[in-house]
Amino acid sequence: MKKVCSLVLSIVLLVTLALPALADGLTVGTYDPASAGATEVGFAWWGNQVRDEVTKAATDFFTENYPNITFNLNTNVWNNYWALMTTYSANHDLPDLMQQDYAYLELWANNGSLLDLTPYVESGALDLSNVPQNIIDTGKVGDGIYAVCAGVNAPSLLYNKTLTDKLGIEVPKNLTWDQFVEISRKIYEAEGIGAVYGEGNSENMPTFYARSLGYTSLWTAEGLAPTAEEMAGYYQRLIDGVAEGWMFDTDKIAGVNVTDLAQHPLVYGTSNDVRSWCAFAFSNQISAFQTAATADGIELGLTNWASSDPVASNYVKPSQFFSVTTDAENPDLAVAILNYLINDVEGNKILQAERGIPASSAVASAIADSMDSVNPTYSMTVEYLEYVTANSSPIFSALPSFVGTVQTEVLQTLSEECLTKGTSMTAAEAAQMLVEQTAEIAADY
Amino acid sequence: MTVAPRAKKKGFAAWIGKESTAGYVFSLPFIFGFLMFMAIPMGLSLYYSFCKYDIQSAPTWIGLDNYIKIFTNDSTFTKALTVTCYYALIGTPLKVIFALIVALILNHESKAVPIYRATYYLPSIIGGSVAVAILWRRLFESNGTINAIFGGILPFLDGYNWFSEGPAIWVLIILTVWQFGSSMLIFLSALKQIPRELYEASRVDGATGHQQFWHVTLPLLTPTIFFNLVQQTINSFLAFTQCKLITNGDPRKSTLFYTVYQYNKAFPAVGKSQMGYASALAWIMLVIITVVTAILFWSRSKWVYED
Repeated sequence: MKKVCSLVLSIVLLVTLALPALADGLTVGTYDPASAGATEVGFAWWGNQVRDEVTKAATDFFTENYPNITFNLNTNVWNNYWALMTTYSANHDLPDLMQQDYAYLELWANNGSLLDLTPYVESGALDLSNVPQNIIDTGKVGDGIYAVCAGVNAPSLLYNKTLTDKLGIEVPKNLTWDQFVEISRKIYEAEGIGAVYGEGNSENMPTFYARSLGYTSLWTAEGLAPTAEEMAGYYQRLIDGVAEGWMFDTDKIAGVNVTDLAQHPLVYGTSNDVRSWCAFAFSNQISAFQTAATADGIELGLTNWASSDPVASNYVKPSQFFSVTTDAENPDLAVAILNYLINDVEGNKILQAERGIPASSAVASAIADSMDSVNPTYSMTVEYLEYVTANSSPIFSALPSFVGTVQTEVLQTLSEECLTKGTSMTAAEAAQMLVEQTAEIAADY
Repeated sequence: MTVAPRAKKKGFAAWIGKESTAGYVFSLPFIFGFLMFMAIPMGLSLYYSFCKYDIQSAPTWIGLDNYIKIFTNDSTFTKALTVTCYYALIGTPLKVIFALIVALILNHESKAVPIYRATYYLPSIIGGSVAVAILWRRLFESNGTINAIFGGILPFLDGYNWFSEGPAIWVLIILTVWQFGSSMLIFLSALKQIPRELYEASRVDGATGHQQFWHVTLPLLTPTIFFNLVQQTINSFLAFTQCKLITNGDPRKSTLFYTVYQYNKAFPAVGKSQMGYASALAWIMLVIITVVTAILFWSRSKWVYED
């Protein structure tokens, strides 16, 4: 009886001792969120259904540990996200934490919306000791650290593996543009299923093309890096693909939804003529795409974006960043939460590496085993990233600030023209307009 | 009876007791709202229209540059204006005619009529909403309800792409025509006000139902038609939600409404806001609407019957 008593007592003692440890069991750095009082923290990101769910779960987990901290979550699709954030920033009403992108980081840091995290890294409030230096550097603008990488990814062609297997088509690693065209033709002939390429306002495809010509970036400070003659090759791809029928033309794109991942023709659509056999996406997006594809019994595969020189074109990239904004009411608290998002193992298990492979190598290896059950595409993504790391070229530096305007006003218009069936525009004309109008916008910025 | 002389109040008490003060106090909510949400924003937008302004940094004065660029070097402006005029000039008359036809049908004494009126008015209440826009997009998808229902009768509709260049604008026009409810209600009340004696007198003179419509009903309805036309034309020029959510201007800007173009300039998906430019676009639209309305009012004497 005495033994039992002492056993019970020691268990009680152990539990009581362990309790405070449990309470601050999250990796939050040097600031104690419990001391912040009742606070609502704003947190915004662009994303998809899966990301929304896992991020909410991760913030709920934080609240469980620090009941005084609640979150005001704000999620949107990419295009609406930036318009909304710009409006918030005008009113100095940005959320405490915001997701940032490599392309726009410089613009946002320079207009004073983001907090320089360097002092917090130096004081130890933000622990980046397990994040490789080259990844930390991607969040730098000038000498300041304005963002921390939320995950690493690489451009990847996600394809309907169930379909290609059925047709006996092998989609190779280091996929070249000619191979891609050949596969697309075969699939279109056999099933009437097309391919979405080069649509919208994205600079990704022209950049990938320019890199295959030996340029690191599509842009210079004054405009476009390649010449008009060189860029004509890119627009010729669009014109030819549409003429051959397998590439989605503007009319077909208007009939589908390519911006909402869950409705992308790769994973959505009841008839073959509105389906695409592939999506030019990023490796981290495979988990959300696969979630949407499973309903149709489709298994996805991934390889690189097609390029005439895949090694020169491909790159490893921070998929997105977390930044603390200058509108944050309690920057210390925001940094503590950022530290949790980057370094906490349990938190990252909940986040399911949906934003890409965690930037902290310690976290990445700690969560690896438990990922397979929650995110079946994880090991595939890791394997692909290892492959890309060995078969790629250094990433371009952050985009000059005029690029956003070029995207909406020039790239969008030209891709629409070239993707129109029977277009009157030639590739040379399109490329000429791209070069001239980009220079014009850059000069006026 | 004599009124007892009141002690003369002074200062605040006198001021608060004045009738004019009460008037100001009671109209304060309106004055406040008008200043905050109309006058000041309009003044600011007029100022911004002469500036380069990206919301995040201070505006810089550039004079008429925005206006000059709009009129000399902006093909999207021309395109958006053409699309909007097409939408307004085709959609509005269709909507008014449709509303008139339904009002004539419903202008009967029957117990079921109030139910029909409510039912037909419903689309107008919910029509501008986000939910209907999303529903509308789903209805017209290539494998959507419209193609599924009518595909059996009209085989070419099977898998038809409503969102391709050409038909896409009609998806939006059909939506606006579908929202005929408020015009219909106005027509209904106007129909009720046509004196019965006129019909009786014309019947005595031997007029057929057909003749009654053309020579009695329609002329007496012209003031109402005019009112609906003006109101709906202005609404059409300012339509936004439908376009933004259903087509977002695609494909190739063939459904790009002026207001959506303006919005995209002010709040672009990526890149800096061009709020100054967007403000200039807004003021041009104001002038256009004023001119169109003036033309409608000028035409009034030619076709509107007034006694």
